[in-house]
Amino acid sequence: MRALAGYPTRVLALTLLTLMVGTVFGRGQSPGKRAVAAPAHAKVVDLIPASLSGETNQDSEPFLAVQTANPQVMVASAFTPNPISNTGNAPLYVSEDAGNTWVLNAITPVPRMTCDITHAISIGENHPRGDLHAGTLACAASVTLDESESDDVSSSAVMNVQSSRTNVDQPFVRALAFSNADHIYVGLNDLGQSSGRTATVDVSLDGGASYKSYSIESRKTMGQDGPSVRPAIAPDNTVYAAFFGWRKFNGSMATSDVVVVRDDAGATGSHPFQALKDPSDKLPGRLVVKRVSIPWSNAPTLGQERIGSTLSIAVDPNNSSTVYVGWADRGRKGDIYTLHVRRSTDRGVTWSKSDLPHTTISNATNIALAVANNGTGGLLYQQLSGGRWVTHVVQSRDAFATIQDTILATVPADRPVGQFLPYLGDYDYLLSVGNEFRGVFCANNTPDRANFPQGVTYQRAADFNTRTLTDGSGNPVAISIDPFYFSVAVMP
Amino acid sequence: MEPGKQGRMNTSRFFLAGILWISLLAPGALPQATNNQAALVKQSSITFVGTVSQVAATSFAGVPKSPQTIVVRVDSVLKKPAAVSLKKGDTVTVEVKDPAAFHDGTQAMFYTEGWIFGSGVAVKELGHDTAPSGGTPGAAETGEKVVGQAHSEISDQDLQRLLATCDYVVVGRITHVHAWAIPKSAASRYRTSEHSANWQEAVLQVQSVLKGPKLKRNKMVVRFPLSRDVAWVSAPKFVPGQQGIFILQKDEVSGAPTSSAGGYKADVYTCLNPGDWLPMTDEARVRSLLENR
Repeated sequence: MRALAGYPTRVLALTLLTLMVGTVFGRGQSPGKRAVAAPAHAKVVDLIPASLSGETNQDSEPFLAVQTANPQVMVASAFTPNPISNTGNAPLYVSEDAGNTWVLNAITPVPRMTCDITHAISIGENHPRGDLHAGTLACAASVTLDESESDDVSSSAVMNVQSSRTNVDQPFVRALAFSNADHIYVGLNDLGQSSGRTATVDVSLDGGASYKSYSIESRKTMGQDGPSVRPAIAPDNTVYAAFFGWRKFNGSMATSDVVVVRDDAGATGSHPFQALKDPSDKLPGRLVVKRVSIPWSNAPTLGQERIGSTLSIAVDPNNSSTVYVGWADRGRKGDIYTLHVRRSTDRGVTWSKSDLPHTTISNATNIALAVANNGTGGLLYQQLSGGRWVTHVVQSRDAFATIQDTILATVPADRPVGQFLPYLGDYDYLLSVGNEFRGVFCANNTPDRANFPQGVTYQRAADFNTRTLTDGSGNPVAISIDPFYFSVAVMP
Repeated sequence: MEPGKQGRMNTSRFFLAGILWISLLAPGALPQATNNQAALVKQSSITFVGTVSQVAATSFAGVPKSPQTIVVRVDSVLKKPAAVSLKKGDTVTVEVKDPAAFHDGTQAMFYTEGWIFGSGVAVKELGHDTAPSGGTPGAAETGEKVVGQAHSEISDQDLQRLLATCDYVVVGRITHVHAWAIPKSAASRYRTSEHSANWQEAVLQVQSVLKGPKLKRNKMVVRFPLSRDVAWVSAPKFVPGQQGIFILQKDEVSGAPTSSAGGYKADVYTCLNPGDWLPMTDEARVRSLLENR
């Protein structure tokens, strides 16, 4: 009888436990519709080359560019210092075999190491291993932005700086081939804007030869907008940009709108990014959500990571009416940082009133969205779960109602001890190429197969039996944060 | 054992192997190293002895092949950063200045700087000795110094650049540190960013000036970032009582280049590069580099 009497209690406890696991390890929603089968064609590669097997840097905050005309050619970046010199140029990772192998080439215009870098390769100028356009910030100076290009990322020529200015944050580069020139869109937070409307897109319509700077904030701010300003472009010349419109800020919490602007002509007009107006005030910039609370902490807060500004936007390349936006805020009670994704199917005029299914994600950051050619939505994020950083790439054909969740890495969150902030990065990146989602993330580099459920390839010297790194001569090397490239087949 | 220490031991082993190899090749019949060789050794980041195995070729994918690129088999490594994996028997791509100087089987000491790092190493030639005169006792001594220098936080080459471009080099001690209150005149440039520097001011009691005009007083104000953000993490941080050699620039970063922190209004200085502060054990090295500028 006692056993029978205890049965409902045990069932209840088990049910509660299942719900808790779903909340902590999943997305806080019913896992019933989640398909957990991993795609068969996932590839994960540690970018650190064999000849730098002795390195122990915190190579965080990765980014990726793919040459769409020849997707064998890719460029990646991270907070990787010049391996030789404190005064040599900061390097880029270059692959010419679709990410199987990478070399480090020190060609950015920044000394030693960039302190923000994003880039894009377009094909308007018909360079076989370029044209790479980059936005870089220089460290330990007055945080100077260089907008630069390389015609050949495998050459030793240092990138040509085309535009430069100080006091900006988080340049985020997108490029689109247009006739014989590249159109380049650099989202950035222009802290020199005296109006306080700092969310800005720098636009070049001539391959970077000249840039015009456009504030895309039309409302009053608390003195500035949030750091992340993210453009997204479609081949039909539609350009969206998302940003955090900061309305209040007390040093540890921002009250922010999530705003999306749109331009239908590639920002070629004299007053670009005005196409989308909010019905509440008729001003340019649709307010996707209003006055959410976003915690700001420039200290280890989510594990060893800082938080305050993660944002992504992606447009369907074949239907520019469909656009997704994702961000993080304080979220639910007990969460440190919660991700959200919303969708519009009418060019940003109206948005889903609540988060898409399976996209309210607890204690996660580094959101990156992409849409494949067949309309599949892709979502990359990193979640602190059970003392581990778990990197997910999620796909869906039906606005995340049903999903395919692939765990790329699950690594200890407490090791290695951070050398600086950000620990993993203020962003990672996802894009679509043909029938693949490709991207980059950063993680603890312990060579342990259990940490990489899809498998992993190390270029650097590593012994997976003893789970140790070596310097190529058999001497042990301490674990550190490395950038990882991945490719996952798009759901058919 | 710490990996860094392992790396240092490795470097020493390579160095000793290189000396042994050179000694066996040319016992006791070689001239002294020239000043030019010593300069090349200091200037180079990777120095090795090797034998050319292919001309107009490269040793691994990802390196653009040209008439200037040759493949060299490494016989011994005299100098390399700890992060770089390079050992006897490896092949290296060298982009040489004069391809006509090399053919299959040419043996040389290569003074190089890093270029591309992949499955192998590609370097650019700064200079070479085709007769292995790098193995002379003179060059060996130079090489030994260089290996010793490679152990330091900053190479002679990088330190030389810092010393050449700075306004002051002083020996001194930090007496006081406090958070810098941003004045209204500079406030407009201080908005919220993850790259915020979190400026602090340190009062530096100067004991001697190694470079720069004579000071009116023996105090200087040094502004430094306390932030752990990637933009500032490599900048030296200071605490009261900290002594050493300070390589200083006039402040052109914080937006307010004067301060009264020392008890009177004075110019403010920064030292933001790794190596802009060095421990007293580096004093002789700094003096030597300043004298040999």
